[in-house]
Amino acid sequence: MTATPATTPGGFLLVLAVLLPAGGVLLSFVLGGRAAGKIALGLTPVGFGLACLVAMKVAAAGAPIAYAIGGLPPPLGIALRADGVSAVMMVAAAIIVAASAFYARAKFVMPEGAPESRGALTFWIMIQAIWAALNLIFVGGDLFNLYVALELLTFAAVPLVCIDGRPETLRAALRYLLFALFGSVSYLLGVALLYGLYGALDISLLAQRVEAAPMVWTAAALMTAGLLAKTALFPLHLWLPPAHANAPAAASAVLSGLVVKGSFFLALRLWFYVLPGLPTAAPSVVLGALGALAVLFGSVLALRQARLKLLVAYSTVAQIGYLFFVFPLAAGAHVWSPLGWSGGLMQVLAHAFAKAAMFLAAGLVAEALGHDRIAGFTGAARALPLTFLTLGLGGLSLMGLPPSGGFEAKWLMLRASAASGQWLWSLPILGGGLLAGGYVYRILAPALADGEVEIKARPQRSREAVALGLAVLALALAFAPRGFFDFLEIGRPSVSRSAP
Amino acid sequence: MIEALLVATLAAPAIFLAAGFVGSWRTRALVWQFLAPAPALAAGVFGLSHAPVSVDFRGLGLSLTLDPPGALLLAFAALLWMAVTAALWRDGAPDARFGISWILTMFGGLGVFIAGDLVSFYLLYALVSVPAYGLFAFSEDAEKRRAGAIYMAFALFGEALLLMAFALLAAGEPHGSVRIADVMAALPVSPWRDAIIALIVAGFGMKLGLVPFNGWMPLNYAAAPIPAAAVLSGAGVKAGVIGLIRFLPLDVAMESWGNALAALGFFTAFYGAAIGLTQQKPKTILAYSSISQMGVIAAALGLGLAAGDAGASGTMAFYGANHLLVKAALFLTLGFVASGARLSGLSLALAAALALSLAGLPFTGGALAKLASKAQFATGWPALLATLSSIASAMLMTHFLMSLTALPADAAQEARRETPAVLIRFWPALVLGALLLPWFFADAPGDALSLGKIWEGFWPVAVGVVAVFGWRRMGRSAPVVPAGDAIVLYECAFARTIALGPVFETADARLRQWPAAAASLLLIVLALLVAASI
Repeated sequence: MTATPATTPGGFLLVLAVLLPAGGVLLSFVLGGRAAGKIALGLTPVGFGLACLVAMKVAAAGAPIAYAIGGLPPPLGIALRADGVSAVMMVAAAIIVAASAFYARAKFVMPEGAPESRGALTFWIMIQAIWAALNLIFVGGDLFNLYVALELLTFAAVPLVCIDGRPETLRAALRYLLFALFGSVSYLLGVALLYGLYGALDISLLAQRVEAAPMVWTAAALMTAGLLAKTALFPLHLWLPPAHANAPAAASAVLSGLVVKGSFFLALRLWFYVLPGLPTAAPSVVLGALGALAVLFGSVLALRQARLKLLVAYSTVAQIGYLFFVFPLAAGAHVWSPLGWSGGLMQVLAHAFAKAAMFLAAGLVAEALGHDRIAGFTGAARALPLTFLTLGLGGLSLMGLPPSGGFEAKWLMLRASAASGQWLWSLPILGGGLLAGGYVYRILAPALADGEVEIKARPQRSREAVALGLAVLALALAFAPRGFFDFLEIGRPSVSRSAP
Repeated sequence: MIEALLVATLAAPAIFLAAGFVGSWRTRALVWQFLAPAPALAAGVFGLSHAPVSVDFRGLGLSLTLDPPGALLLAFAALLWMAVTAALWRDGAPDARFGISWILTMFGGLGVFIAGDLVSFYLLYALVSVPAYGLFAFSEDAEKRRAGAIYMAFALFGEALLLMAFALLAAGEPHGSVRIADVMAALPVSPWRDAIIALIVAGFGMKLGLVPFNGWMPLNYAAAPIPAAAVLSGAGVKAGVIGLIRFLPLDVAMESWGNALAALGFFTAFYGAAIGLTQQKPKTILAYSSISQMGVIAAALGLGLAAGDAGASGTMAFYGANHLLVKAALFLTLGFVASGARLSGLSLALAAALALSLAGLPFTGGALAKLASKAQFATGWPALLATLSSIASAMLMTHFLMSLTALPADAAQEARRETPAVLIRFWPALVLGALLLPWFFADAPGDALSLGKIWEGFWPVAVGVVAVFGWRRMGRSAPVVPAGDAIVLYECAFARTIALGPVFETADARLRQWPAAAASLLLIVLALLVAASI
């Protein structure tokens, strides 16, 4: 994203995309709990439409679209910029936020006459705040601006974890908050170092100025470690399982599907947009190795969980590991880099949809059975066919079996690892799929077996359909045409400058 | 014309599958799904008499291909699926879980023969493997669940090996094409050639039950109800045969790989027969017979690879197609015998002819299959081993026939319950079909009727039959080997691995302490710095 003009046609759409949910937050504060749900639900189609418009503009231009706030180009002003990946992530975020909001109606929309609950107001405000923060992360072009977005994301996500106020959820939320703050400090230190060195925070300006100096590497290492803490990459995952397993299902879907991807997205921005001109091969291997450990530990721990939500949460730890193979597989400007890049982003999307679907389905299972102990699932699939179909389809994507986005991601990554001669990465990629097969089997095999379960409350069809819809999207990614992958390349610096 | 047939081959099962997910259509979709293989049958028959075709759908990235080996297997598989499906649902409706698993398996089991690119082959191959779990393992019976878990483990492991092989194949193709024809053309010069062939043999070897990946098959077939065992052993396993045919570079002579595969195949052929002779349950014996027969196919393909003889694909497709019909009919024979129908001399003769067809009994389809395989087993040690394997097959199938006559009451009752009444009523016709149908598809069926060939086919069968009777007469009993043989060792190893779980749990608990996490954060910063500075 080098020579982008300050503001391109359609650039104001980016401002709108951020302001729309932010405005929803303010309005919800003013009008109170009963209106907040309606505002959030009403904004989701508008936000989805905006995201699609941005994607269409980017596709039509074949180049990133940008907006300079206040008409001042960087380094004086702050730029918003949407390239192919931003647009795709915005659309995905809009879909998942909308699905979670729709699903949460049953729990958080207050009927007329009933007293307003604090939990409901918190949920609707925070989910909009998360959405605003994510959009800002996806289009932000300035590292400090991105820091603000990252903080907003964390502060909006933490209350969702402890929405019901039980002591263990408060403990989980506190853990999340404290560790995320560690991450923030680390990131901010790195940003400050870069600013001190180059006097610029704009991504494309920095990309032109950075060189392989020890201070730059220090800044990059600090920023990356901070982002990894927020992404919960193993071994920095201490907060994730309790937080994601204790939040209400609709919140878990957003936390696991989207929020961890926000900080991962920034790590991508840092390594592929700020530092692409530097020799990043060795640090990339460190990141990939951490990813491999995450796949191993997350999957094995998922295999050993007795509760469905914890299993799904540990599976997130494993699936996050896959994301980090993008660093060794897509770094540099090689023939295989586009394969690795496509594979990494496909994994982001496939996991976002599949995991959101699975958390929503896990919530339905817990409500219908009154518990989420896997040992008590025998025969449950016949009582809740749609919900277990959702778990099965989501699981298909996690295992990487076709047709699913998860398969497409593994297929692309494996090809990249073969073509680049880094075939060692194929071991965790394939082994993780086998382990995922193990934990998906643990859920589905008893559920599909003969047996009777007692249904406490039959789930609403519409909520089952929402979860299933997300799982179907995770599958539909497998049929992404070539043009989709070309779209992801828009605005990605291929060879930003020749090596010195 | 052929394009439409190929598309319909995939579309028809897909439509029935989609209808199966609509509540109000489900029952009808499942009852009528026996029509889903009709286009496949037509395409197969068409493909047999026409030059190979390949159809690309660029927008979808899909490519379909129909050549004589694939067409033969496709036609026979479609026929088998139609017959068993129609009978099964005519008899009463199995539940929806079973029905959906059935149609998914059918979808994959037909499509895999015409898939022309890596991705759709992988998809259809996964469909013929994974959903088959639902045909036998949705049960509270511990033994069936064990069989299901082991089946799934092998299926997924095989899938992983193939995915790696396919990724290497795709990476070796210079233009980024994933059509099987293109990647196979690039294979001989691929830098990963040896790794690819090893992965292909191991991956498809899991489906074929080649030693040491054979243990799942006896458990699977013993757990499966007879109709499911018939289609899995008949049509399902042939996905592995077409896999080897498609992904071994048969037209390039690769002597060491070919000989290694031939050795593995022959070893499997004798190992399967030997272990099968120690078994008492008819379904288990048939499973070991499948292992043995797939070993023969692997051996022939190995010899073809060693000699650079692309013709091996045609002869082994024929051998496989014959096995497809005969093995399915043998499972139905178990149901027929268990049904308590009066066993006339004619039906005994039919059952014997069917069983010994696998050993190449003259006048059966098996004689033609043996004759076809002579192209690979012409001379020297392969010819000797092939004859010995005929004797071994004859012994094993005689053992099978004897086990049918001594069926325990509860096993007989179970087999009776599992077999659709229509299939029992038409059993003689089915057997005749299985014996005679291959005659219409053989290259030169007349050759098999010369006196020399008849004698050549007859004496190994006679030796095998006499050997088993002699063994019995002497009152010798076979050693007791658990069904699935080495699988017991794998299960022990697996249990040891599972026992490592708490180690991970402890490590995870330690790492999730605050001091450890804070230290990790610092270490990551340091590691990145060190990595950047080297």
